[in-house]
Amino acid sequence: MLLALLLLPTGDPAQLPAQEVAVERRLAGELGLRVGDSIRIGPSPDSLRMAGIVAAVYEPRPDPSGIMRRDKQIRMHLPDLATLLGHPDRVDRFGVSLRAGIAPESAAARLNRAAFGYRARPSAEIAAESSQTFLVVSRFHRAIGVITIVAGAVFLLCIMLLKVEERRLDAAVMRFVGVRRRTIFAALLLEAALIAVAGSAFGVVLAWIAGAATNAYYQRLFDTRLVFSLVTPGIVGFSVALSLLLGLGAGALAAWRLVRTPPMVLWGRA
Amino acid sequence: MSLLVGSELKRDYALNGQPVHALRGVSLTIDAGDYIAIAGPSGSGKSTLLHILGGIDAPSSGQVRIEGRLLASLSDRHLTQLRLTRLGFVFQRFHLLPMLTALENVELPLAEAGTRRTDRRARARELLEYVGLGARAGHRATQLSGGEMQRVAIARALANRPALILADEPTGELDRETGQEILDLFRRINRDGATLVVVTHDDRLAAEASRVIHMQDGRIVG
Amino acid sequence: MRIGWGIRNLARQPLRTALSLLGIAVASAMLLDMVMLSGGLERSFERLLLGRGYQIRLTPKGTLPFDTEATLSRASAVIAEVRADTGVAAAGGVLGGSLYARRGDSLITFFGYGIDPSAQALYQVTRGRDLAPGDTLGIVLSEAAARALGSGPGDSVSVAGGLDPQLATAGTERRLQVRGLVRWLYDYRGQRSVGLVLPLMQRLTRAGADRASVVMVRARNDAEVAALAARLEKRHPRLEVSSVADLVQQVRDRLVYFRQLSYILGSVSLIVTVLLVATLLAITVNERLGEIATLRAIGVSRLTVVGQVVAEGTALTALGAGLGVALGLVTARYLDTILTSFPGLPAAISFFVPDGRALAIATAVLLAAGALAGLYPAWLAARAPIADTLRAEAT
Repeated sequence: MLLALLLLPTGDPAQLPAQEVAVERRLAGELGLRVGDSIRIGPSPDSLRMAGIVAAVYEPRPDPSGIMRRDKQIRMHLPDLATLLGHPDRVDRFGVSLRAGIAPESAAARLNRAAFGYRARPSAEIAAESSQTFLVVSRFHRAIGVITIVAGAVFLLCIMLLKVEERRLDAAVMRFVGVRRRTIFAALLLEAALIAVAGSAFGVVLAWIAGAATNAYYQRLFDTRLVFSLVTPGIVGFSVALSLLLGLGAGALAAWRLVRTPPMVLWGRA
Repeated sequence: MSLLVGSELKRDYALNGQPVHALRGVSLTIDAGDYIAIAGPSGSGKSTLLHILGGIDAPSSGQVRIEGRLLASLSDRHLTQLRLTRLGFVFQRFHLLPMLTALENVELPLAEAGTRRTDRRARARELLEYVGLGARAGHRATQLSGGEMQRVAIARALANRPALILADEPTGELDRETGQEILDLFRRINRDGATLVVVTHDDRLAAEASRVIHMQDGRIVG
Repeated sequence: MRIGWGIRNLARQPLRTALSLLGIAVASAMLLDMVMLSGGLERSFERLLLGRGYQIRLTPKGTLPFDTEATLSRASAVIAEVRADTGVAAAGGVLGGSLYARRGDSLITFFGYGIDPSAQALYQVTRGRDLAPGDTLGIVLSEAAARALGSGPGDSVSVAGGLDPQLATAGTERRLQVRGLVRWLYDYRGQRSVGLVLPLMQRLTRAGADRASVVMVRARNDAEVAALAARLEKRHPRLEVSSVADLVQQVRDRLVYFRQLSYILGSVSLIVTVLLVATLLAITVNERLGEIATLRAIGVSRLTVVGQVVAEGTALTALGAGLGVALGLVTARYLDTILTSFPGLPAAISFFVPDGRALAIATAVLLAAGALAGLYPAWLAARAPIADTLRAEAT
């Protein structure tokens, strides 16, 4: 059961039998609680009617959906909490573990047909629904990524054109002495490929460093072990492939422009 | 007072790590109204001498005085101002600004000198008429022939009524016929009172000059 | 006036200039979007909160309005005490909870607001009329709720609260007349919400008598909101007293990521612009060294050369930035449609909100960056030795 509860650390001995409570690390730190400390718990500031003893301080599993809300948790035995909230024998949900080989969807359907008053859903469905926030963030990141790639591609094309044009006199001389267009094109393309490979390698290193810095920063900021940035082999593969494609494409376009220009025009005499 | 006096001019520089003695003690005097040709084989130091006389290069030793002023004593700002108002340059490759019209190219030094727009327009038109390009004033430099571009460059050099015009191979990029047009123009300019110093390979241009200075290996040999 | 030969050089290589403009436009658009994003949500949220003039909210301790199911007790006494303060112009309680209605065989769930019609800041009437104070027979619906019920102003609907999900029976059911359709300011798109007077909502739900989720307070004087909040906090230590500034700060803390992202991407955009302009100018100046040396030879000063090259860079940046503004507004709209699809986000909220002052500053910084980017190549060109350059050009 999840509900807002209020805790009050107290040094006074409890009037009622004290119940065991586990407190999450951050909350224990904020309230200065240690194992064995006495507290009072209640659903509102006016009714802190249950006494508790801190039986454990625990680290909750990192939960992305909780990170922005900064909720603090405690754990109690179910009957104690139900009693405290005035709803004995009442829960928010059941968790059901299936035997091996049973599909969650069919089990949920059978449960829904068999009984009334509740709805059974596969955990994956709930996970997908509760991940909507992160899907939105992912879409946003993807959109920013596309815009950045477009900007980078334009920048790359511009620089490639400029750098290749800088060598138009060299290209003109080579054509004058009989070097074929194909040869000049291949040489420029090879150069573009080498730059693209070197740039990609540098980019991977930079991404790894930026990812590590991002994780270090946000893990500290939110006091969590969640991983915020992950550089996977798939991401590296995609990024390198894309940058090679863009680099070669820009280089090919720039080289093609250069070799199709008559040498006298390149020389500046036409 | 002579217009320009150059004394024991030497110029050394390094080219690909090798020392080059471009000038080895050159002295000369130029008076107002002179038409001087500097001739010699390639590498004889003609252009280097011209650059030093015009203040766009500094000698390793020796001195140049223009209208009594020692160039070495002038700051870059004053030297630039001198080139703007007292000297005119014409180069082998014209070096007009391609995105400007012929008129605007001629106006450029006038604008730099702070001449009012109406006045500099009028002066530029006058100069283009003088060089025979009045009808081409509105054409961009890229739309002009080689000869026309050089004539615009000459008009530009005349813009601020300089005391001395320095030309470096002005017919070098032109065919014979067009080159002759430039020679005729120089003759007219000199007759109209301008002082000219022209570096050239062109025998015809050398023949036009009132004095020819022959150079070889950085020295005046005749 | 000098002849702007620097700026005219942009027309010399149209493809090069066009690509550079495109690159600067994309970078400028990104910068513009990031300026709008940084603080956009807070501005939007602040406008929403202040839209109806209620500057302070009281909620159970440790909670934000409608953040949890927690409610405060003795709501009417709290409201009376708050209204007694001379700095208070109006105060009203709101209770939120689930309500149900049937349509055919379907049980439809609604979010119910129990409100005080004389002191509410949650909705605007779009059709029909508002609830009257004490109107225990009336209900107002959102457009989505009206569609779900197939009802409009004047129709009767039955709503229930305190539903036992296992028995599918309601604790309390009421037949009410739809007074009007309203636009709920804090609802997400398509949210089915209904509004009743507070005492009726308290009876229908299981929240308990005299309870409220939030008490909304409007101060008489905007300048005294902070002082009023401090007084209320002192008088009600068991309640959370939040001014609009507090709530905006909470949102800022929760969404610090977007602000930081906007700073990082904005900085990257600026750096890209500077690099592009600097590289372009460096290369084009290098190509024109002979031309520049000639200009210096004929008497054009270094300052003029630098000025013309810087003008070229600034013009390029300005043109690109102009395109970037248009592009940025388009991309901002697209990015906003992504972010505003966060589940549960009020439909009135935007992430990308233009702020005139910030945009003006960003544009000025961009132009300055473009100008500075040209400074170094310009200075190098102006300082190039004239004779050596001419000699190199001749060979």
